[in-house]
Amino acid sequence: MIRFEKVTKTYPGSGKPALEQMSVDVEKGEFVFLVGQSGSGKSTALRLILRETRPTQGRVYVAGKEINRLAGWKVPRLRRQIGTVFQDFRLLQNKTVSENVAFAMQVTGHNRGEIAKRVPETLELVGLDGKGDRMPDELSGGEQQRVAIARAFVNKPMILIADEPTGNLDPATSVGIMKLLDRINRTGTTVVMATHDAGVVDQMRKRVIELGGGRVLRDQVQGGYGAQL
Amino acid sequence: MQLRYVFSELGQGLRRNLSMHIAVILTLFVSLTLVGMGVLLNQQAQRAADQWGNQLQITVYLCRQGDNVPSCASEVTDAQKQAISKVIDGNPNVDSFYLESKADAFAKVKELYGSERFTGPDAVITEADMAESFWITLKDPHQAEVVKEAVVGLDGVARVQDLRNVVGPILSFIDYMKYGAGLVAIFLGIAALLLVANTIRLAAFARRREIAIMRLVGASTLYIALPFLLEAVVTAVVGVALATAALAAFMQFGIVGKLADSLDFILWIDWSQFGWAVLVVAILGPVLTLLPTLLLTRKYLKV
Repeated sequence: MIRFEKVTKTYPGSGKPALEQMSVDVEKGEFVFLVGQSGSGKSTALRLILRETRPTQGRVYVAGKEINRLAGWKVPRLRRQIGTVFQDFRLLQNKTVSENVAFAMQVTGHNRGEIAKRVPETLELVGLDGKGDRMPDELSGGEQQRVAIARAFVNKPMILIADEPTGNLDPATSVGIMKLLDRINRTGTTVVMATHDAGVVDQMRKRVIELGGGRVLRDQVQGGYGAQL
Repeated sequence: MQLRYVFSELGQGLRRNLSMHIAVILTLFVSLTLVGMGVLLNQQAQRAADQWGNQLQITVYLCRQGDNVPSCASEVTDAQKQAISKVIDGNPNVDSFYLESKADAFAKVKELYGSERFTGPDAVITEADMAESFWITLKDPHQAEVVKEAVVGLDGVARVQDLRNVVGPILSFIDYMKYGAGLVAIFLGIAALLLVANTIRLAAFARRREIAIMRLVGASTLYIALPFLLEAVVTAVVGVALATAALAAFMQFGIVGKLADSLDFILWIDWSQFGWAVLVVAILGPVLTLLPTLLLTRKYLKV
């Protein structure tokens, strides 16, 4: 589903590469944690998957497409197969919960009938049944993150990218969010989650890829946050 | 494609940036009006030049029956015409020349003053009253005197008119107006381009969250840019409409209703020339707003 082949990414004006010779293969339906300190290259790896940037060397394949060879006008089609969730939720504050989720479908050209059907379904899936008419600022942090996940998932993507989704949440709420991501993963969606949250990683016992200084330090099936586990 | 969203965004965008859009529309309106004026003046100059010959021309009027000039014994004869033509042809300063017949001259007069006055038994002038004339184009207008001297006094020549003296000031006035309008239009056009660019920057900034999410969930570039392009089209349409109205008012109250009556010896432009000016304005307006929009949406909204 996602393959990095000896990928090096050096940003212009920076002497040191953000990623160096990274080779990783993520199968369809896997759940992968990307861990490492700030500046270890996690965000760059996620940006490469989203084709927000391109590798300096090496190849990145996402859903069977080599992103470096992908024409600009085909990038939106690639991104429709990827849902994205961020630490800061990134909801539109002037739209209701339902409108926020529907927005992702509207701008990718779904018709009203589909939207009317899928938005409530997805809100139910993420546990926000009956909260569709609320505004984002009336919700708790955990609920807002659920809205963001609903928005990322409503287009039924093959891949879900989560960049520190529990970074702004307390541990109890984080557990709820992780259960939700696990549930989405069980529907066959590949989940790649970058995190600093050791508790979450240790509890889930999923594949862990640890990055440091742009290199893969560890790639462990059913790993924990720390190397000793 | 969900056009409902695009149109609601368009409405929001127009309201949110209302003052900027008004600035764009007004600038566009004035610059397009000036461009239209330039086109009209250019055509007016063309018409005047067609009417009087261009500035390099000298007209040699030949004798009519009863002309009270020493060199005119009678109506000009073919032999005299040939002799005159030979002199003109032999002059190194002459670029080209042609003979205008009485019929051609009469047709010109009729076009200028309207044919109804020159037909029927009460005609003011008839074809027979017109003089034949040689129309000479010079290689260098400064040599006009030399050519005039060579022709004046020849048998069969009634008088020689150097059109530069008559038409020159009018033509150069029209030219100055034309270039002035063009120059101001260029400056205002640049101002309009920059205003459009600024408006887009502001709009893209105001909508940066929506745009970021649209990119992330895979909205196409066209879809993201469409509200901006439609805003550009709307401002262009309003600007063009205002400029067209202003030009129409200029034609109606300035030319058709006033100058064409009071200064009727000049062949003035009419509504068909106005049509051309509107066409130019209607093409230029959208170009001025869409061009920066296309360039900047590529820059700011790149997926």
